Formats: sequence, structure tokens, C-alpha cells
Amino acid sequence: MLTQREILSTLEMLKNENLDVRTVTLGVNLLDCASHDIEILKDQIHTRISHLARNLVSVCDQIGQKYGIPVVNKRIAVSPIAVVGASMSSSQMVDVARVLDAVAAEVDVDFIGGFTALVEKGIARGDRALIEALPHALANTERVCASVNVASTKAGINMDAILLMGKAIKKAADLTAKADGIACAKLCVFANIPQDIPFMAGAYLGIGEPDAVINVGVSGPGVVKNAIDRAFESDSNLDLGQISELIKKTAYKVTRVGELIGQEVANHLNIQFGVVDLSLAPTPNVGDSVGEIFQSLGLLSIGVPGTTAALALINDAVKKGGAFASSRVGGLSGAFIPVSEDLNISEAARSGHIGLEKLEAITAVCSVGLDMIALPGDTTEETIAAIMADEMAIGVINNKTTATRLIPVPGKKAGDNAYFGGLLGQSTIIPVNNGHNPNPFVRHGGLIPAPIRSLTN
Amino acid sequence: MNKVILSILGHDRPGIVAAVSKILFEQNCNIENVSQTTLQFEFAGIFIVSIPGDLSPQSLHQSLNAQMAPMGLEVHVTSLKPSAVPVSVPECESYIITTKGPDRKGLVAGISEVIARFGGNITNLQAVFKGGDDPGDNIMIYEIDVPYQIDRQALYQELRRRAKQLKLEIDIQHRNIFEAIHRI
Repeated sequence: MLTQREILSTLEMLKNENLDVRTVTLGVNLLDCASHDIEILKDQIHTRISHLARNLVSVCDQIGQKYGIPVVNKRIAVSPIAVVGASMSSSQMVDVARVLDAVAAEVDVDFIGGFTALVEKGIARGDRALIEALPHALANTERVCASVNVASTKAGINMDAILLMGKAIKKAADLTAKADGIACAKLCVFANIPQDIPFMAGAYLGIGEPDAVINVGVSGPGVVKNAIDRAFESDSNLDLGQISELIKKTAYKVTRVGELIGQEVANHLNIQFGVVDLSLAPTPNVGDSVGEIFQSLGLLSIGVPGTTAALALINDAVKKGGAFASSRVGGLSGAFIPVSEDLNISEAARSGHIGLEKLEAITAVCSVGLDMIALPGDTTEETIAAIMADEMAIGVINNKTTATRLIPVPGKKAGDNAYFGGLLGQSTIIPVNNGHNPNPFVRHGGLIPAPIRSLTN
Repeated sequence: MNKVILSILGHDRPGIVAAVSKILFEQNCNIENVSQTTLQFEFAGIFIVSIPGDLSPQSLHQSLNAQMAPMGLEVHVTSLKPSAVPVSVPECESYIITTKGPDRKGLVAGISEVIARFGGNITNLQAVFKGGDDPGDNIMIYEIDVPYQIDRQALYQELRRRAKQLKLEIDIQHRNIFEAIHRI
């Protein structure tokens, strides 16, 4: 027999604290679709995805209804297109992106990820074609998401690739200038990219993954915030060790939801279940904010002194709770700090409580990196590359995933507002120190070597 | 050994279960299963008891009543016949239905009628029921077993339609979600 408390607290999480399954992402392996003939390649990609994903949305809705837990987004992640289409030219890569966009619309998923290249140690022909294709591919599609892994702890940092990405980001922004450079919101640059991320824009299906797999992304910043608020209401003397314990227990509950839904969707589709990615991923809705958690912990705003310590506490407790709840935790698992997608963080940027430097600092302890940050339109490609290089260095040296999703907003300056809409939100444009001057450092190119793994101070 | 089912009803007070179990022990009876609850201040207990062949249900009732009546408790004892046990139960899965809304007559009757019409069996019913017009104060929780062959969509639709008529918010969820979240 269930207790009243078990039932009512679950309903509270669902109705008032925005507990949901943020995404069920179907991974589709396209490696055997490769062909020298673009038409055959496009046809095989289309057939493979539409066959595997045709029931994804209806099954997710059906399982969501059964448990009363909404599956908010259904998405697809495919093998890196730079590998699948290695023999294609950059214009043909754009055609492949269009096919991905079309098939995503047909099966009714909101995003399809995997327009991806892995270039941490060097750039192959297909990688170069894909990177060159990125601006047009992203500007001419709605649902395609791209990612490029430019660094890893084992390989070092590919500065040539980073400079190419700086150019690609500027061009993608210019091609979508009327929409505040929205193409860049669908493009992540990574260090140590995981192979099984269900969240966009970084989702792709790794080379070591099976034919098809279901990965699940659960969120729940509102659940964590409310748990902290309730705990302090009943005992204002709780210490941070006790708060960590509370977040851990909350993360456990949220992860269990993801695992239950993911396993059942996978069973229905007769596809292998992959991982639960337990990430505190905000949306621009009130009560669904990571930034608010910092205020519940006693900080004036995210960004003020104490933020890094608080985020370290949150991130670690989330991982511990998730790891206990499921033996299949993967992806990014931790706290996201996407500035424009979180009302509270966006407000912190507007009011000056948080800037680019503090955002970079906290990526040493958060789960991703400089995410959804609107920059002045005149920020040079060199400066964008340099910001990315800094962020990659944090990931490479600390043996963790870091990423950037930077949007130089054409025609706008620091303090102006950039509007991306929907889940991508809006944000004040953040100033960049020395943003439009030359930066010869990144022009040197080459590979920053992989770091030594001893002498760790 | 024969089996009886006995029920005890009355105003709650310390020592009811102790008194009942003492008499059963003295009469050489064995408690096989028991469930007790209190609603507001009223006690209700159901005991399935195996009794020796030389003890009749009537004489057990007399023994219990002699001690329970002065405590203000009502006792019923009935023989448990094997035929009363259902022979075959269809395979089911459990759902939790939660309704929330202003207090009025007929809420349980309205919802339970739909459940019964679809062959669902209510295995537990709890009310977080304080009266008044605050919807948050009037919550009913039904645990039901639904046979696999029942059309879920039709059941959901009918429950939602009835809830709307009764001005209730309704949630219908498979039991596993609560177990997954709260139990290791």
C-alpha cells in the first residue's frame, strides 16, 4: 500500500515543481548508410531514421500518459555526419542537413542532433567539409543541431579547428542576422564530448554505440529548489552537508523517473536502453530555473562570491544521487548554466551580477560550459575562438566535458537584448573584454598537447 | 482447523488489539492475517483467524463480545467458507487515481461507479478530507487493479468526463511511478 505522503509528494513534484522527462532521444546509427553517391546516402539516411523513429512520439506520449509524467521533447541523435558523409563536399553536407531536417519534421521530433565532427586531434576531409557547411546547414534548417569536438584530455586542443569554428560561428550568425544569429544556438563546440548525450544541441550517437538506443534526459531544477526551500522552512539551521544530502535524495527520485520511462519506451520500441542523463536543465519558465537554486541557498544571485562553491555542491550531489538511482547514468549529468534559457540567470546577466569571466570560472565545476551566451555582434572570430580555447582548456586539464554555445548577435552591442524564442529564451548581450581587437595567439594554430596526468597541482 | 473472519468496530482507545489478541490466544486461535485502521477517532480491525475444531464461531463471538462490549466496541464473527475465496482473478495492473476538488456529496460514488463499470477493483481508498471549499483540503486517493484487457483510453476518458461533472481535478497514474520515486 502506498502512503498518502508518497502519492501527494509525487503529485506536488509534477504539478508545481515542473518535474518531467525533458527528452527521450533516439540514437540512430547511420554508419552503414555511407555511400559515395549523395542520392543513395540521402535516401538511406531518410529510410533508416524514418523506419526507426516512426513510433517514437506516439510511444513516448502513451508512456507519459500511463505514468502521468510528460515527456516534453522527443529527439533523435545520429552518428557523426562528418564520418557518415566523409566523401561529401561541403555543399553536399548541406544537402544531408536538409534531409535530416525533413525526416525530423516527418516523425515530428523537435530537434535532430549529430551534424557532428570529431576533430580533437586532426581534421579529416569529411570533418573539413562539415565545418565549412555548418553556417549554411544551420541557417537553412530548423531542427538540425550540430556539434564539433575540438579537444580532449587524451589528444589536447586542436587550435586549427577552434579557429575554423570561430569563423563558422560568425558566418552562421550573419546568415541568421534577422533572428539574432539563432543558427549559433544550434551549434556546440566541445572538449571531451560524451557519446550518449540526449540533450540538444550536443546530442550525437557515438562511434561505439549500437544500431539504435534510447537515452533519456531528466531535469528538475524546480524540484531541487522547492526541496531546499521546504527544508529551510522547517529548519533554518541546516548546514550545507545536510543540504547536499537533500539534493542527493531529490536527484535520486528524479533519476528514477527517467529510468522508468526510458526503460519502458525502449521496451515498447524494441530498442536497447542507453542512459539516463540527469541534468538540472532549466527552461525560460518561472519555477524551472537553476539560477533560483543559488538564491534558495542564500546567495543574492548567481554570479556573486560563493557561486562556484554552491555550484560545486549542487553538481556533486546531483551526480551522487543519480549514480545511486541508476547504474546507467551518462551523458552530461550535472547542472547546466545556459544563460538565455534560464530567466534567473538571464536577469543576473542583465543586472551585472554575472559576466563572462565568472561564467567561465564556474564551468570548472558545472557539467557543461559557456552555454547560450549572447555576445556583441562585433566580437571578432579570433576572440570567439580564444574564448572557446579557454573553455576547452578547462575541460582538457580537468578531465571533464566542457562546451561553448556562443552567439555573436549581429548588429547588437553589450547591454542590448537578444531574443531567440521558445526554449532558447532571451538574454542581455554580455560584454567581452578586448572583444574586437586582434588576437594573434589563436592565429598560431597547431595542437596544444595533451596534458600530463601526474603532478596535478 | 476452521477459519473465521472477525471485525471490531468502535471508538479508538489504547489496548484494543491487545485485548482481542489475548482472548484469541486463550481460546487457542491463531491470527493469520490482520488489517486495522483508524478513521478520525474510530477504530476498525479485520482479523482472519484459524480456530480449533471444538470452538464454534458463536462461542468465540460470545467470548469476544463479553470483553469488547464494555469497551464500547462492536464485534462480528463469521465463518470463512472456502467458496468465498475468488477462484480466478484476471491479471491486473495497479493504478492510482487522485481526485481533488470542493467537498460535495456523491464524489466517491461517482468515481467508483466508473471504476466498477470498467471492471476495476478498488484495493485501497484513502481520503485526505477535511471538508470545506478549499480544493487542496479534499483529496481522495484510489488504488485500483485494472485487468489488462480493459481499454485504458476508454477508462481514462470516462473518468475524466465524470471528474469534470463533479468539478474534480483528476490524475490517473500507474502505481510503478510512485514505487520508482520513493522506494529503493
